[in-house]
Amino acid sequence: MNTAREPLIRLEGITKRFKNLTAVDRIDLDVFPGEKLVIIGPSGSGKSTLLRSINLLEEIDDGVIRFQGREVGYVTSHGRRHLDRPPAVCALRTEIGMVFQHFHLFPHMTVLGNVMEGPLIVRKMPLNEARQVATDMLSKVGLSDKRDVFPATLSGGQKQRVAIARALAMRPKLMLFDEPTSALDPELVGEVFDTIHTLADEGMTMIIVTHHMGFARELADRVIFMESGHFLAQGNPHEFFSVGQENERIRSFLNRLL
Amino acid sequence: MNRFYILISRVAVTLLFLWTLAGTGRALDSDALSRQAGELMAQGDLPGAVELLRQIPVPPKGADAGAFVASRMQMARIYVSLNEADKALAASREVLALFPDNSEARNAVAAIQKQQQSRWLSLLDDSRKFLPALLKGATMTLLLVLCTMLVSPLGGLLIALGRISTFRPLSAACWFVIWFFRGTPLLLQLFFIYYGLPAFGVTLPPLTAAVIGLGLNYSAYLGEIIRGAIQSIDQGQMEAAKAIGMTYGQAMRRVIIPQTYKRLMPPIGNEFIALIKDTALVSTIAMVELMRSADQLFNTYFNITALALAAAIYLLLTSIFTFIFEKIEYRAGIYEHR
Ligand SMILES: Nc1ncnc2c1ncn2[C@@H]1O[C@H](COP(=O)(O)OP(=O)(O)O)[C@@H](O)[C@H]1O
Ligand SMILES: [Mg+2]
Repeated sequence: MNTAREPLIRLEGITKRFKNLTAVDRIDLDVFPGEKLVIIGPSGSGKSTLLRSINLLEEIDDGVIRFQGREVGYVTSHGRRHLDRPPAVCALRTEIGMVFQHFHLFPHMTVLGNVMEGPLIVRKMPLNEARQVATDMLSKVGLSDKRDVFPATLSGGQKQRVAIARALAMRPKLMLFDEPTSALDPELVGEVFDTIHTLADEGMTMIIVTHHMGFARELADRVIFMESGHFLAQGNPHEFFSVGQENERIRSFLNRLL
Repeated sequence: MNRFYILISRVAVTLLFLWTLAGTGRALDSDALSRQAGELMAQGDLPGAVELLRQIPVPPKGADAGAFVASRMQMARIYVSLNEADKALAASREVLALFPDNSEARNAVAAIQKQQQSRWLSLLDDSRKFLPALLKGATMTLLLVLCTMLVSPLGGLLIALGRISTFRPLSAACWFVIWFFRGTPLLLQLFFIYYGLPAFGVTLPPLTAAVIGLGLNYSAYLGEIIRGAIQSIDQGQMEAAKAIGMTYGQAMRRVIIPQTYKRLMPPIGNEFIALIKDTALVSTIAMVELMRSADQLFNTYFNITALALAAAIYLLLTSIFTFIFEKIEYRAGIYEHR
């Protein structure tokens, strides 16, 4: 990779344990600005935990997270390491957008309200400005006509696009997608992929966890295969999805999906 | 031979028995009936007396009607004392049917009708007499209800947030408050606050003591309800809020708590209906509210109209609040209907 540039985010040996299960095991990772990274791997391999650790939804047990070269998220006091103070944690999260498998839209707010919420409450923008940002983001995901309805009336694909708009409204530098299409009916997957694609073309840095290999091959600069909390292999999509994939585990995983 | 005698004697005994019966029947003529009725009345058996009097027949035309008239008027008097005005009227009118000019019967009908009418009038009179005091009491009840409705949701929210806090001492303190106030009678809590605290140098006016007692008690109940509602909201909502950079407080205020309103309204409505009735308990700590006013009137006038009116006012209050809560519940969940 391009070592001359500074990575947008760098993980150094991050480890997350649940009781005696190590969900993420000493992971190192550099993601460079504009890079599209796809993580694949069997269920339970730690992909979600890794993404959630990056925006501090999980408190890691070990390791260092650097964002734009700066160590973030954790402080050490009295010899004990713990999560940084809330303002610092929240500040990092505003730089990192996250899209969940199950959307998690706010059901009591309209579509516009959902997208405005971050700019208005977190960024403390004036109402007009926040509404403008939200309107722009909704037209970007192609849902301007749905601005005044409540999420309950939307299809799964529309919900996920609103969730993407909500994340984008914070103008993040990095986007995390955790299986964004896994909860969707097959015919709705395309519209969400198209939206992500548009975002990719604009140069957004993103880490995507997905089981759609076609999408991974098309979009990814780099593919990582994760298993049992480790990165088993990584490479560019051409090598990765070639029939010559030498890794037995990965080959059987891919065969099962294709 | 023997058999013949036995048969004869049996026939004789039967005849004798029948004759006796007939004789008894004849013996119970009008005079005897009224005499026996008089005896029953003396023993206090009014219904029995009425039954006997009723058997005195309508006399044939031209015969002496004295016993009949006397019996019906006696029945009318008994019915009046049994509070059966309609039957008293019917007895009097039997006399009037035969003798339309009988002055005793006419007076009786007039008196009974007047008394019947004045019973309704007296209900009106009583109401007019009692209502001002009862409405004054009801105002106090309403004031107590509104104060508690204002205080307890806030107290309940604080207790709920404390309970789910990860800061153990706070969560333990809130657990204790809930445990204590839900586990002891409200009456005892009110007594303690009003009669017990002065022993610790804190003397509170009745209204303050009442609002504190009701407020604490209902905060504890609502605290558990609100905690349950907060914890029933999908975990993903908090994560999504955090993911766009919200603090815990912002997420609670903007995302989690607003979603509990719809779920909270039915149980909180129930609690508040119970509250309206629970305010009656503060009548024991020198508060003059609706229950106490009704009680005072009842003890002064021995008139259950005061209690009936108080019941009607309580019903009116609970009905109004039930209606309001249903409206709010619908509004709170409007995003699910569109
Ligand atoms: N909150 C949690 N508590 C306990 N175990 C968890 C928790 N979250 C995830 N795990 C476990 O960690 C492992 C990795 O989970 P996850 O990151 O969700 O996997 P993936 O997203 O790859 O399917 C799994 O074995 C899962 O059961
Ligand atoms: Mg997952």
